[in-house]
Amino acid sequence: MNEDRFWLLVSLKLSGEAQPEEIAELEMLLQQHPEMGLRVNMLNAAWQAPGKTLANNKDVSFNKHMQRLSNHFSEPVLQYENPEAEEYEEEKAKVKPITRSKLFWASGIAASILLVWFVAFYVPGKNAVTETVAQNTVSTKRGSKSKIQLPDGTQVWLNADSKITYNEKFQGALREVQLTGEAFFDVVRDETRPFVIHTNAIDVKVLGTSFNVRSYEDEKNTETSLIHGSVEVTLRSDPAQKKYELKPGQKLIVQNNGLPVLSKEQVAGKPGFKHPMPAVGRINYEKKDSSIIETLWVKNKLAFDGEAFEDVALKIERWFDVKVNITDEKLKKTPFTAVFDDESLQVVMEALQLTGKFKYNINKKEVTIGR
Amino acid sequence: MPLLFTIENLKQRIALYEDMKAYKELYHLLYDGLHRFSFSIVKSKEVAEEIVSDVFIKIWQIRHRLPEIENLRVYLYTITKNFSLNYIHRNYKHPSVSIDEMDIEPVIELGTPEELCISAEMINRIRQAIMQLPPQCRVIFQLVREDGMKYKEVAEILNISVFTVRNQLAIAVRKLGEALPFYVQSNTQLMNRFSAS
Repeated sequence: MNEDRFWLLVSLKLSGEAQPEEIAELEMLLQQHPEMGLRVNMLNAAWQAPGKTLANNKDVSFNKHMQRLSNHFSEPVLQYENPEAEEYEEEKAKVKPITRSKLFWASGIAASILLVWFVAFYVPGKNAVTETVAQNTVSTKRGSKSKIQLPDGTQVWLNADSKITYNEKFQGALREVQLTGEAFFDVVRDETRPFVIHTNAIDVKVLGTSFNVRSYEDEKNTETSLIHGSVEVTLRSDPAQKKYELKPGQKLIVQNNGLPVLSKEQVAGKPGFKHPMPAVGRINYEKKDSSIIETLWVKNKLAFDGEAFEDVALKIERWFDVKVNITDEKLKKTPFTAVFDDESLQVVMEALQLTGKFKYNINKKEVTIGR
Repeated sequence: MPLLFTIENLKQRIALYEDMKAYKELYHLLYDGLHRFSFSIVKSKEVAEEIVSDVFIKIWQIRHRLPEIENLRVYLYTITKNFSLNYIHRNYKHPSVSIDEMDIEPVIELGTPEELCISAEMINRIRQAIMQLPPQCRVIFQLVREDGMKYKEVAEILNISVFTVRNQLAIAVRKLGEALPFYVQSNTQLMNRFSAS
């Protein structure tokens, strides 16, 4: 018997690569050489035995991985990658030119995606039963954006420096999320389970619609802009829990600091009224193509609509991950209206300078603006 | 094949929708195999875990290009191999790094005697025989047996010919077989056991 041939046939049979004629040949050889049978059987048994799965909690290792993924973007060098030596990849995945805007999102999402995709456990205090609910948190850094899909299919675009937290299972009578920062929601309709967004100042309740919520802690106002459908907003500090219903195209502005806002209701006068007052306005359309300014950021456009320079500066800080200092007090109040389609900081400053007549200086991550 | 089909499906979801669920699923699906593969080269569980993590970061970075990758599983194993060899190269100042010149620690799970219907002594013998295989031979054995890879896939990952994979595996199986005792039993009994499995 040709032993090389025999073991080749055995190996082909074990690895599942044998052709029918090779299996037939092996069976014939085994009949002629019964003395080989025991070895083959033992090998076969050893081969087929299910490998033990390593005692490794993959959820833990995945969370660890997500942590590394997020850290990675502050220092984007793969520890074990050898950039010069990766011809294989280039050759395998023939590189397509990536458009700038794609790249922006890619880096943005990359930088942020599940920046903190961690699982926190919270135990309801009143309940004696220790029921743990896993919370998912997705957050974005300055200079980056992210898009996520919630378990019910609702799409959420998360602007820079924002955070959304939701129950991992996403079950129960309400679909609830916590938001700080700005997000655009396209909520999947489910009338049996309303969707509720909690922010510091307001709660927004919807059935299914798309709208934008802007609620940065360092900004004066919390804004809810409705694109279509309907939403119901309640102020967290309002003991009566009065419901404000928004119609498509309306925007509700609530002050974060509890001071009265310049709205008609405020003018009507309620002395000592401490909780935030809402003002209802129209959402703003860009004249050129009537797109909605409040949601332009989703399309990677940086937009200001008659906003004071100090508010514009806040937006720029988040958008480009820089620090903006305005040295001139009068300049802080100068309003700007502009839309930038995926432009660099340099271009944005250059353009603002033309209309604002100021001087600026960009030093790494610091922009100084003065007369 | 269901596994390849599943991976293909996950690949599309990651590439088109940046679907984190799919990304997580892919991680769960391939972690063990990639970790085992990396461990057999770097011989440290911690380093292997970081390497696999780097591999998945890489995947996230190039997610838009994933559809261009024909066999994602093979691709992942290939990057895992490259990253692992880079680690060895950097940490041990190996002048030339290729798998056939390296000491490979195979991770082969043989199960318990009860499961195999063979004695602990026999399992030990097989294990010993595996350790005595040449490094490349061990890796091939591991990829085929533990990861259920096709010869063509192993060849692509290790950048060798299918013919070499086929020969090396035959050598491995022969060495293992020869480590086992040699008895005479009746034909019919043998045939039944072999074909039944």
